[in-house]
Amino acid sequence: MDVSGILASHAAKYKSVTVEKETPLEVDAGSLMVTDLNPIDEESYNANLEEHLQSLARDGAQALFASLFTLPTRPSADGPLAQLPPPTYQLPRAKPLPKPKPPTKWEVFASAKGIQKKVRDKKEWDEEKQEWVNRWGRDGKNKQLEDQWITEVPLHADVDFDPRKVARDERKARVAKNEKQRDQNLARAAGKGPREERKRDIEKTLATTRISTASMGKFDKKLDGEKKVRGVKRKFDPTEAPIDHEKEASLALISRMESDSKKTRREPQPEESVLNVRKAVRFASKGRGGIALGRESAGGRGRGRGGRGRGKR
Amino acid sequence: MRPLTEEESKVVFTKLANYIGKNLVHLIDRTDEPYCFRLQKDRVYYVSESSMRLGISVARPNLVSLGTCFGKFSKSGKFKLHITALDYVAQYAKYKVWIKPNGEMPFLYGNNIVKAHLGRITEDTPEHQGVVVFSMSDIPLGFGVTARSTIDTRKLDPTAIIVFHQADVGEYLRDEDTLF
Repeated sequence: MDVSGILASHAAKYKSVTVEKETPLEVDAGSLMVTDLNPIDEESYNANLEEHLQSLARDGAQALFASLFTLPTRPSADGPLAQLPPPTYQLPRAKPLPKPKPPTKWEVFASAKGIQKKVRDKKEWDEEKQEWVNRWGRDGKNKQLEDQWITEVPLHADVDFDPRKVARDERKARVAKNEKQRDQNLARAAGKGPREERKRDIEKTLATTRISTASMGKFDKKLDGEKKVRGVKRKFDPTEAPIDHEKEASLALISRMESDSKKTRREPQPEESVLNVRKAVRFASKGRGGIALGRESAGGRGRGRGGRGRGKR
Repeated sequence: MRPLTEEESKVVFTKLANYIGKNLVHLIDRTDEPYCFRLQKDRVYYVSESSMRLGISVARPNLVSLGTCFGKFSKSGKFKLHITALDYVAQYAKYKVWIKPNGEMPFLYGNNIVKAHLGRITEDTPEHQGVVVFSMSDIPLGFGVTARSTIDTRKLDPTAIIVFHQADVGEYLRDEDTLF
C-alpha cells in the first residue's frame, strides 16, 4: 500500500514545527519577542505581499511557541503556565535623559578660572586629641574655639568681650551666607531672580505696546528679527483621564455653588408664605418682639410685665 | 471632544440647577454607570463613560454626536438647554406645570402658556423659575420659565402669560437639522 500521497498531502496541510532559516531567528522569550534578521526575499515579496508577510509571521510565531514549550512550567488552576526567563532584549528608555543641573555661580567661576574640584574628607586629624574628628557637625572641629576651656582675649578688648560668643556668631554667619547663596542659585536656575523678572516685565510691556496701535499691530512696520507674539495657549483636562477625578471636581463645584448662593442671597426665601411673619409678630406683640409675646402667652401677667421692662432695648 | 473647564461646568450646572435644583447631584453621582459631560463643537453631551471611551477614537471632524446632547454654548459663552435634555430634566424636575389638552398644541408650536391653558402647577413655584411642562397625562412636553409665582397667578385674567416658552418637543421636527 502506497501512503506517500497521503503523507505528502498531510505534510502540505500542516507545516513543519521547526523553522529553518539561513540566519536563525533570535527569540527573546522573556519579552515574548522574535527578531528575524534574514534579508527580505524580493521575489516572494513582489509576487504576493500578503502571503509573504503571513508566512513570515507564521515562522516567527512558530519559533516563539517552540521556545515557550521548552520552558519550565508551573501548574495553576487554568492549566500549566510557562515561567518566562528575564528578558534579554534592551528596550530603549521611555523617558528622555534627565537634564543636567544648571551650574551654580561658583561652578561657573571655577570653570572659567580652571579651578579643579577637590573633595574634602568629612574627618580631620586632631593633633591634640590624637584622633580623627568631624570637620563639622557633632563635636566638629569648627566648634573648637567655642568649646575650649581657656581662650586668648585680644589686647584692649572690652570688659564684656565674650570670645565664645564671637566665634559662635562668626560660624553662624558663615552658615547663613552659604544658605543664602544656595537659595540664590536655586532662584537663578528656576529663572526667578530679579534680573529674570525684569526681563519678563520688559517683554510683557513690549508685547502690549506692539498691539496698542490703531490697527492693533496688524499694519505696523516689522523690524528685522522681530518675533511673533504668542498668546497663552489654552490647556484642557485630558479626555481619557479616570472619570472619578472629574466626578469629584464636579461635586465640589456644585457644593461650592450652593454655598455661594446661600452667602449672596439676602432676599426672603421663595418658600415663604403670603403672611409677612415679621410684620405679624410686631402687630401681635404691639411692637415688643417675639420673645415677649411667647413669654406672655406661656406665663402670668407679672412675668409679662417684667419682660416688658427688659424687652425695651 | 473634551471635558468642560470649570467656568463652563459652572454655567451648565447653574442652568440645570434652575430646573432640577439639588437633584443635579444625581446626574453626576449615578449608581448604575459613571456618566460625564463632554464638549464637542460647542455642544455639551451627557454621556456614559463607556461610550465616551469609544468616542475618543473618532476624529473630531467625524464625530457627529454622542450620548445625549444637553445643549449648546452660544458665542458669548451662555448655555442654551436643548429639548433633547428633557428626559433627564423631566425626571428630576423640582417645579412642574401641567397644561390642559386644548393648550398642548399651542405650546408645541412654540407659544407661551397662557392662564386659560394651565391645568395644574406645583404649589409654591416662585417667579422666573425654570419649570417642566407636562400634559395632563403626565407626558413631558417641554420646559419654560414662570412669568409669575403661583400665588400671583390666582388674580390674573385668562389671557395672561404664565410660563415663557423655552423648548418643546415640537422642536424635534422644527429644528431637526440643528438640534443634535
